[in-house]
Amino acid sequence: MPEDASAIGLSGSAERGRPRLSRAAPFVVAALAAAALWAAPLVLDAFAVNVLTRSMIYATLAVTVDLLWGFTGILTFGQAAFFGVGAYATAMALSYLGATPEWMAVALALAVVAPAALGLAVGWLSFYHRSTALYASVISLVLPIVVTQLIYSGGEWTGSSSGLVGFEVLPLELEGFFRLSAFALVAATLAAWVFVRSDAGRALVAVRDNDARCAYLGLSPKRLQIALTAALAGVAGLAGFIFANASSVVAPENAGFLFGTELVIWVALGGRGTLLGPVLGTVAIDYLAANLSGDLPFLWQLLLGATFVAVIILLPGGLAEIARRVWSALPIGRSAGFTPRLVARSSRPAADGAGAPLLTIEGLAKSYGSLTVLENIDLEVRAGELVSLVGPNGAGKTTLMRCLSDGTEPFKGAVSIGGVSTAGLTPNRIVALGVGRKFQVASVFESLTVADCLLLARASHDGLSPIGRAETIGLPQAALNVLRMTGLDRMLAEPARLLSHGQKQALELAMVVALEPRLILLDEPTAGLTKAERTTIGAALKALTGELGVAAVLVEHDLDFVREISSRIVVLHQGRLALDGTVEEVVGSELVRTIYSGAAHG
Amino acid sequence: MLLILDVLTTAAILFVTSIGLLAIFGVLKIINFAHGAWITIGAYCAVVAAKLGLNPWAAAPLAFVVGAALGGLAELFIIRPLYRRPLDAILATWGLGIVIGQLITLGFGRDVQFTPNLLPGAVQLLGVDYSAYRLVALGAALVIGAAFAFTIEGTRLGLSARAVIMNEALARGLGIDTARVRFVTFMIGAGLASLAGVLLTPLASVDPNMGVGWLIGAFMLVMVSNASFLALAAACLVFGAAQVLISAFVSPIFGSIAIAVLAAVTLRISPKGFSRA
Repeated sequence: MPEDASAIGLSGSAERGRPRLSRAAPFVVAALAAAALWAAPLVLDAFAVNVLTRSMIYATLAVTVDLLWGFTGILTFGQAAFFGVGAYATAMALSYLGATPEWMAVALALAVVAPAALGLAVGWLSFYHRSTALYASVISLVLPIVVTQLIYSGGEWTGSSSGLVGFEVLPLELEGFFRLSAFALVAATLAAWVFVRSDAGRALVAVRDNDARCAYLGLSPKRLQIALTAALAGVAGLAGFIFANASSVVAPENAGFLFGTELVIWVALGGRGTLLGPVLGTVAIDYLAANLSGDLPFLWQLLLGATFVAVIILLPGGLAEIARRVWSALPIGRSAGFTPRLVARSSRPAADGAGAPLLTIEGLAKSYGSLTVLENIDLEVRAGELVSLVGPNGAGKTTLMRCLSDGTEPFKGAVSIGGVSTAGLTPNRIVALGVGRKFQVASVFESLTVADCLLLARASHDGLSPIGRAETIGLPQAALNVLRMTGLDRMLAEPARLLSHGQKQALELAMVVALEPRLILLDEPTAGLTKAERTTIGAALKALTGELGVAAVLVEHDLDFVREISSRIVVLHQGRLALDGTVEEVVGSELVRTIYSGAAHG
Repeated sequence: MLLILDVLTTAAILFVTSIGLLAIFGVLKIINFAHGAWITIGAYCAVVAAKLGLNPWAAAPLAFVVGAALGGLAELFIIRPLYRRPLDAILATWGLGIVIGQLITLGFGRDVQFTPNLLPGAVQLLGVDYSAYRLVALGAALVIGAAFAFTIEGTRLGLSARAVIMNEALARGLGIDTARVRFVTFMIGAGLASLAGVLLTPLASVDPNMGVGWLIGAFMLVMVSNASFLALAAACLVFGAAQVLISAFVSPIFGSIAIAVLAAVTLRISPKGFSRA
């Protein structure tokens, strides 16, 4: 018994000490790695130093691929092109301008700025409202092909197919280049590591999981993707600069599509989304390749290809997945992640100008081809109102919700929020007008924890730290109430994918409420919930509209529920607004009875 | 005149090399990045047929059968576990392509192989001498297209395939064995790719990596066609014409990237590409 007690005491103190320890871990690992790599040229032979210099440059690229693909979900072959542009910019600058310190600085600047500018253009092309993940991959595939062909067509300027050789480079020896690329690799990995562990790093995963939810939290996933593409293109260009100096050769293959696929293969084998996996994987594979491909060139490629296929199918987490499983099987490996505390924050003052309607819909009509879904809808909703939208399936309720929350949806008529027209506005900009939307099927970030989901819900107000983690998340009291009533406040460290259906619905509602919207759109928030959960959500909604003056539009099938909480009911029938009145007027009307008993179709 | 024939035959060759990829993408919603490897397999079937002393044309059915059989194996062991991970399927098939390329290199060496021309010489057509074989390729594209259209429109498999394309969950609910439809479609798509490989032998050099260049063009064409077979034909004509004209009047280098760039721009402007028309 005493042993047990001491064990509990130990684990308790370890838990308290761990957050600080784990925050320091990247720096400790980086310092150790830097020291070891500084000393490495003293013990390695010239061949190994030479090969590993290249391997570490490639590993720096692998870090950028991992950030894009492993964390953000953008499968890219384009990092090779940015690398090639950086390398060629360096080689051309050094060939035609010279290698004096001034021109070297110019070459360095060019090697970063040119790929970053290209990355900005590529990002703009790849990511737009409603773009697909596949389209971004298509562009990333076209890019290296185009860059390679431009290099071929550059004639003497780019050395065409033979590339550029023999330009003057940085005055470093073999060991110097080894240390330079080691330094670049450690710095890039450390920066990436700190970033992905920060609050902003959660946003990358959120974009990968559910970019629609990001947009409806008022974040701009596309802008994040474009910024990331441009920034990492600059990093790839920097790697190209070091490569051109270290090898004093650049060739079209350095920018090619095949090199782009190799980078992806290294990252996949090492373990996407783990940073250290791709770094170690790249160094190991490239080093092995240099040693083996001389003796058994085709067999090596064959083995690599076969392993790659097997890893993709059987072990999507790569070799790092094995390491992680072993680690978590050890007693010291099982640590709870960092979880911030929830605190209440004072709510924003209630909406001013309570007299003017918050939401105005005028003559809204929507059709798909010859099928008219909505016709001639006029509606006004004021602050503090809870308007329920009822009607049979196919009446156009969800379509109406979509038209209200996405101004790029093609429809006729006008929608304005607080006097501002939503025409042409993407969802994130409509959210900025004070609109929150809850979807019919709970839309949360499956691979993030409950706390991280809430953190992202506050991101458009409070921002996200790119280097650290906030100790607390300040939520409005209404959101806290939803969490408390559903018990989610005790499950903050739980990944959202493990929540029950009802808990996910409640989490999404809490996220939307945390936005502090002036107008909240709810599409069947109680579908599939138990009676108790339904009552909880109803109470939360009543508090929001009654006490805080939020306007709510609710799509709902359950007439009893609607009757309990609504201040007004609107009936949609066959795409038209059939009734608009108080609860008593509508529930008692002949029309509602015939619609719901199906007689209207007879 | 020469240009018009070039445009038509180029479009035909593009169509032949893309149709297998389109079939697979349409039904499985998966991009087969080993498509290039299957083209290579087909071309090496022609090499083998020549070594065995067979009639060069016998290579075509041989390639279709070999390609389809290998396609069946690939579907069972590689594609099937990745139905729900389409981006991973791109990678796994790319890896498969590497494996196939290296196996071919081990078997035949990395050098360029020569095959007997299926139909040498030129014919007089509308006042110009034109390569007889390119005209044959045009005919082959029409035949393959017609056969494909017949399969889609006129057979039970085609009906099932169309159902799967439109709504896979519903098709399964109606008792269509969607796994079998996917399996057979992948075999046909792989077989068509190999057939294209044979038809390419008189036009392109045969080496273990020959497929990669064709893969990119086919991939871009399929992307703008959005799984529609008529849209693919239209895309081949338009982009084939662009490639021929840019190569002739601007520079062959720009011609070689014309399809990729134009297709990317088309998709940016209209995400459904040519299938809307």
